[in-house]
Amino acid sequence: MTDQVQFVQPVELTPDAVTLLRFGAVTRNAHRIHYDTEFARSEGLAGPVVMAQLHGCLFHRAAAEFVGPGGRVREVSWQNRAPAYAGDRLVVTGEVRSVDPARGEITLDLVERCGPEGVVCCRGHAVVIPPQDGDVVPL
Amino acid sequence: MSAWESAEERARALIGRWERRSLGVVRAEDAAEFARAAGESDPRLVDPGRADFMVHPMYVVSLLRAAPGAAPAEFRPDGMYRDEVPGTDGLDVRLMAGGQHVRWLGEVRVGDRIDVRRAVTAVERKSTGFLLLTVEKAYGTEEGTLVEVTERFIVR
Repeated sequence: MTDQVQFVQPVELTPDAVTLLRFGAVTRNAHRIHYDTEFARSEGLAGPVVMAQLHGCLFHRAAAEFVGPGGRVREVSWQNRAPAYAGDRLVVTGEVRSVDPARGEITLDLVERCGPEGVVCCRGHAVVIPPQDGDVVPL
Repeated sequence: MSAWESAEERARALIGRWERRSLGVVRAEDAAEFARAAGESDPRLVDPGRADFMVHPMYVVSLLRAAPGAAPAEFRPDGMYRDEVPGTDGLDVRLMAGGQHVRWLGEVRVGDRIDVRRAVTAVERKSTGFLLLTVEKAYGTEEGTLVEVTERFIVR
């Protein structure tokens, strides 16, 4: 064991209005807060917001890329902390919280920041299972 | 009684009552389109022609309805499905996603016929002026559950 922190490589996406329309169409999500600026403002938002499930996809990707080919993402969890808007650059980063050799699991703390000021829009965690002969080095 | 209070009363009455909905059969092209829309570039997720194509693990848990979609009467004025957030049908309340906890028990594969079961499990009145609904969901086939989700909705 070592006390050196293992970081999750950043994953990013800048979903614009087209991205949100595509994602909403394929998931059949017609909630107007995702594409109708006037409506979104009437709800107290600054504009159309990113779907929760799209945040989840970025959290999943961060975990999947951390564990690498042959590994498995077992859990992903996130809580929405602030709205992310169309055009915001979203960046998910994280670090290893714990390693459970008995269960073969690694738990990652993840955070997503958005926009030019890096406002935290989601926090969460993931549990991954590295490949048995993989290149993830347990702490 | 305000719309907000009505939503709380209705949601509490729904606690523990499980309901089921079909999400249809998973098609490779739809799952690939989802992955592309989510910004994925991994060929195993975005190219349905590959032998090692995989359904994006977030696909079915992100899908709100199956093909061919819903009838006009199933939508709220805000565009959300009337039954998406339990207890809010017909009420003038604002809806937001609060977060999710997704747990994979198995792999969703192309051709799987997916059903989702769901039930409200908790209703909390927050001092900051909103309701927090917790909904448990289980996605799976006739053979068993493949994905479990705990989802939270904010009702204002």
